[in-house]
Amino acid sequence: MLLAGGVGSRLNILGRHRAKPAIVFGGIYRIIDFTMSNVANSNIDIVGVLTQYKPLSLMAHLENGRPWDLFGRTRIVEILPPKTGEELSDWYKGTSDAVYQNLGFIEDFSPELVLVVSGDHIYHMNYNELISFHKEKDAEATICLIKVPLKDASQFGLTEIDGKKRIVNWTEKPQDPKTDLASMGVYIFNKDLLVKIVTEVAQRGGVDFAKDVIPVFLARKKVYGFNFSGYWRDVGTIDAYWNANMDMLRENSGLTIEDWKIKTNLSAKGEVGDRPSTYFGRSSKIRNSLIARGCVIEGTVQNSILSPGVKISQNTVVSDSIIFHDTMIHPGSVIEKCIIDKSVTIEDNVRIGEGPSIPNKKFPHHLFTGITVIGKGATIGSHITIGKNCIIEPTALLDKIARKNICSGTTL
Amino acid sequence: MDNVVAMVLAGGRVDELLSLTEKRPKSALPIFGIYRIIDFALSNLMHSGIPNAGVLSQYRPYALVRHIGTGEHWDFIGRKRGIRILSPYRGAKASDWYKGTADAVYQNISYIEEFNPEYVLVISADHIYHMNYRQVFQFHVEKKADVTICFTQAKKKTSRFGYGVIDKNDRLVAYQEKPEVPQSNWISMTVYLFKTALLIDCLNTNAREKSHEFGRDIIPRLIQDKRIFGYRFNDYWAYARTIASYYETNMDLLKRKINLDMWQVRTNLSERCGDRDRLPAYIGGHVSNAIISEGCSIRGSVQNSILSPGVFVAPGAEVIGSIIFHDTKIEPRAIVTKVICDKDCHIGEGSVIGGYGDSENSGITLLGKNTIIPPKTVRNAKNVTPSSENRHRQGEEQL
Repeated sequence: MLLAGGVGSRLNILGRHRAKPAIVFGGIYRIIDFTMSNVANSNIDIVGVLTQYKPLSLMAHLENGRPWDLFGRTRIVEILPPKTGEELSDWYKGTSDAVYQNLGFIEDFSPELVLVVSGDHIYHMNYNELISFHKEKDAEATICLIKVPLKDASQFGLTEIDGKKRIVNWTEKPQDPKTDLASMGVYIFNKDLLVKIVTEVAQRGGVDFAKDVIPVFLARKKVYGFNFSGYWRDVGTIDAYWNANMDMLRENSGLTIEDWKIKTNLSAKGEVGDRPSTYFGRSSKIRNSLIARGCVIEGTVQNSILSPGVKISQNTVVSDSIIFHDTMIHPGSVIEKCIIDKSVTIEDNVRIGEGPSIPNKKFPHHLFTGITVIGKGATIGSHITIGKNCIIEPTALLDKIARKNICSGTTL
Repeated sequence: MDNVVAMVLAGGRVDELLSLTEKRPKSALPIFGIYRIIDFALSNLMHSGIPNAGVLSQYRPYALVRHIGTGEHWDFIGRKRGIRILSPYRGAKASDWYKGTADAVYQNISYIEEFNPEYVLVISADHIYHMNYRQVFQFHVEKKADVTICFTQAKKKTSRFGYGVIDKNDRLVAYQEKPEVPQSNWISMTVYLFKTALLIDCLNTNAREKSHEFGRDIIPRLIQDKRIFGYRFNDYWAYARTIASYYETNMDLLKRKINLDMWQVRTNLSERCGDRDRLPAYIGGHVSNAIISEGCSIRGSVQNSILSPGVFVAPGAEVIGSIIFHDTKIEPRAIVTKVICDKDCHIGEGSVIGGYGDSENSGITLLGKNTIIPPKTVRNAKNVTPSSENRHRQGEEQL
């Protein structure tokens, strides 16, 4: 059961038009591709995808499961949106409620085990190792755990384990973390017990795995922790998202997507032709960058990741940036440390990322490390200068007559 | 266009393309990084709204069969849409290896009749162009033509083509296949629109003869008593019948003579990426005037070249004026100049390949599929072409 309903509110305008799992990553992927590929590569053949928030781009992306080979009579990806008209139907009120409302889907296949995973994380894992561990321990539930920096630990569900890897303590997002062993949001349960407990929990109003379901399992004392030590990132914030992308350009970061056999859906709906390979002009200068198909590069690009169809004109310099599909940047612009969403037009002689790094005034906890974010379909008029930690709303139309300088920390 | 069925001639092998067509028909030859030549014909059919196509293929069709797949990449999938590979068959009376273009269509008349179309469009899969066949269709109807043949102006007159003489009313008044002295400047694009009944009639007549080619046998005879019109096409049209013309056509893309974005060509993107998708191209070196596909990793220098997916160019290596197919690895300090390199080659460290051209020949070096060039190999010969069979040794052969 793949939880893909995440709102991703701390990703701000990147999550405005799409669920968090559908956000573009690494030029051509979407965040959910990691979990989908992990599931498919672990030979798990039946996947229910629980969606709720802005599911359209996610549904288009998952299609019928075929990009991950989860397609056929016994290989199934089923999108499970909230439904009405039945006794047990409503908007999903939480993670375990979403599974509760779809127990029928699980029972249809009478599995022995149920894997509950989140579609929000960048990692590579063979769940078969988890399953072997679970069986070896004769566990009722097993939770995947990873060490996180203590300073970030308060964002996670934290655990303590004993010498036999049994989970003995569990606190959800504590203010003052005492351990750095965090839950990855990857659980495996014995199916019969899961059905029973999720039902009981739901009947007394519980809706969340971490808050309501796991404590019930813990009381039965057969919950184990499976230590994962590979690359794993929760890209829940703009800064974490930017850094995880940049890990693709850093040597030895541990993020090796191609080796991990990550698959995506390359045929975007509605595209009339396939995009040709990228053209690099005579004046192009590229350093340490990943550039997807269908781009035309005449300018300078360094330490950046470009999605398909991006056009970079002459005398334009793009550095430390992530640019989504079909954005066009005209001549003479300088773009630094910027995340630019799809189909943005940046006219000539624009400068983005200049000035002091003042945290964003409206969202100081979203943008404070110098990254400026430009929303989908925005137009930035010529000769405009934009500072650091700015947010330009989707489809904004910035005209130089109205304002020429947008200071750091502004939201427009 | 529901009343048109397309027959796509895709079987040809051309000796002049040497090892490039050793294991695949010409129509399956990779081009412009990610495409195969047949993609242009299939995309034209798709954009023209022609719902059904039969692909006539007999020479080593595996690459083609795999590439076309179910036809879904060109939207040839659905209740009323389909694409079928029509291989030679045996057992019935009129069946055997295809003895020519006309014979290939003749042996598959039953495929055409299945759809009972009013018109049959016969096209070659070997040409690079963007055309909406609706315009040909409209022309055909306006002229009340029995057959319409598309022509384009020759860049230089060679005896490789069929030449037509078209009068001021667009009537085709003369046609010569591969003449020594062409009478006109207009060459056939191998795009014929026939009324179905007439086509079947012609093919039945032709079947009793010795030679079975549209250009040589069928068209000249029709001119006398049927309404044959010439449709003049003035946009880009190219072919790849020789190593030199294949190379030139690729270079036309770098010269921006072809706007693939506008042509909206489709291909089969999932070949060769069965268990993973390829990353965006990683560029850490120097690139200038180059087409570089996904999955490439460029740490050396690439100039005036076209790279298919998955090519690795190591630090200090240089690729100049070359066309490199999928998953070839070029090791440090190797220099590759004016080379067409087929898939899965390995060019050893410090090797110097190609670049000895002069005006007498094309000056192009060809490396067959899976060629391994040992480190520090320096070739002094011109036009070296190790064939793909020489996997673990180095073979060479004069072009």
